[in-house]
Amino acid sequence: MNLSHKAMPEPIEGSQKNVGHAFDSLCCEHLYLHLSNQVILKDVSFSLPEKGITSLIGPSGAGKSSLLRCITGLNETWQGDIKLNQQHLRQWHGGVDALRKHIGLISQKPSVFPVSIAENVTFGLSRKQRKQNQSTWIQHCLEKAALWDEVKHRLNMPAASLSLGQQQRLCLARALALKPSMLLLDEPTASLDPRSKALIEASLRQLAESMPLLCVTHDLQQTQRLQGQVIFMCDGKIIETGACGDFFEHPKRIETREFLQWSVCDCGD
Amino acid sequence: MMVRRLCKKWVIYPFIKHKVRHFLNPLKIFVALGCVSAVLSVLVLLGFLIQSSLPFWQAFGIQVLWGDAWYPYESLFGFLPAIVGTVWALLIAMIIALPCGLAAAIVSSEMMSETWRNLVRVGMEILAGIPSVVYGLIGLWLLLPFLQHSLDLLTGHNLLAAGMILSLMILPTIMVMSQDALQAISEEQRESAMNLGVDWQQRLFRVLLPQAWPGIRSGILLALGRALGETMAVMLVVGSMDRLPEPFYNILEPAQTLTSRIGREMGEASFGSLHFSALMGCGLILAVMAMGLSLLAQHRSLIR
Repeated sequence: MNLSHKAMPEPIEGSQKNVGHAFDSLCCEHLYLHLSNQVILKDVSFSLPEKGITSLIGPSGAGKSSLLRCITGLNETWQGDIKLNQQHLRQWHGGVDALRKHIGLISQKPSVFPVSIAENVTFGLSRKQRKQNQSTWIQHCLEKAALWDEVKHRLNMPAASLSLGQQQRLCLARALALKPSMLLLDEPTASLDPRSKALIEASLRQLAESMPLLCVTHDLQQTQRLQGQVIFMCDGKIIETGACGDFFEHPKRIETREFLQWSVCDCGD
Repeated sequence: MMVRRLCKKWVIYPFIKHKVRHFLNPLKIFVALGCVSAVLSVLVLLGFLIQSSLPFWQAFGIQVLWGDAWYPYESLFGFLPAIVGTVWALLIAMIIALPCGLAAAIVSSEMMSETWRNLVRVGMEILAGIPSVVYGLIGLWLLLPFLQHSLDLLTGHNLLAAGMILSLMILPTIMVMSQDALQAISEEQRESAMNLGVDWQQRLFRVLLPQAWPGIRSGILLALGRALGETMAVMLVVGSMDRLPEPFYNILEPAQTLTSRIGREMGEASFGSLHFSALMGCGLILAVMAMGLSLLAQHRSLIR
């Protein structure tokens, strides 16, 4: 079965009005963020390729999660320019809620709603879409999140009955049900067991064939496994960017070398 | 000390079964006593009410529940006007206080900054702490003349006034309990819904209210309990007329509630008389109504 993003059946009635561009890419220019008189992001500029995984790494407090929150509109006080599909986020047609249907965000801690597994998958769809039979769509989303085989016989069970790893994959399926143009992942495997981690990484690799993924992670081994591009942030600034292999083998900046050195020590411990 | 321990270990313990020994912990005994006393107090209260009102029930039977005349000195005891009055007052109070309290909780919990939220909460807690007689006096001097003049009534004493005063009294309970229930929902749940592009109305109806419902339900129950048992404020504004509203939905005429009747007549009834016993019967009906409400609120379909 071909599970690529474009081969997936359409949900009944498209959920986004902004879809229609030939490519989806994110472009941040001179982004600044101040929270409680503290500078969180300083002159952050980068762009994502049309598809593929970009890993965002850096020490804690570097501003990685804040950057994701700016993109999804959870932090609204940023200054600068963010464009998706060549369109400014602040002038997005339909407002911030419509924008969020376009960008899937998976957070570190899975947070499922206290309804059934199937209802969780269709939670973001409109009322009209939810009333129609979405079983094929639910199946495809769960398959893409590598969860279908484990839950196909208990779709009406409460989502809270799933393990943490399964819940995280359910969150992924829930985001995919809206057919997003890109996925933002905030340490999606931070608290998961190796098997769940491997399953999610496999799903992400497959999804990256059809859409851009921006993945915040502290796990440098995971970054190497996922390949793609790497952005290194420190103190709210982007220090270095590059292709995965090049980044790890030939870091250009002293801060990057220090960070990688510490991370290697940490892995060794 | 040593001797005591040895006594416990070698003299007392061998004669007590293991399961019983497990409960000899002082803390466990205290908790168990607390639990038993809670159940026991309900039973004692009910038993006392039944026992003291028994002469009345024996003399007049259960048909007094739907009798509409109350003239104690002519041995006429009809409970229906007071029961209807009580239900009307409760209903009016809930119709006003529930949407207002819930809306206030949603606004303060979801839309206000923490400073404003705390300010509103302090205001509500002050409102909850005001003695009920003060509410009654406010009703007497402000609400009754207002109702009388604005609705062109003979008197402002009526069920609407009682319901309005009660709604003011139970508003803080509903608001504070609902606010606590909404605040207890994790930020992750809110953000997850936001990340799916769900607008705030849907977030409210599909994420927040269903999860906060057990807390809101408790607030409603407590508020109903307070409204049901409120005597002083209601007594001052309800008019204390023992007659059925004519027609039944006429809430602009003086009426009577169970609590108001007890409060007004208990001083006049001689201890042990049928009148006294009938007022105890009113208390029993109030207690049964409160228990019924409590059971209804814990019904499975409502919990969900």
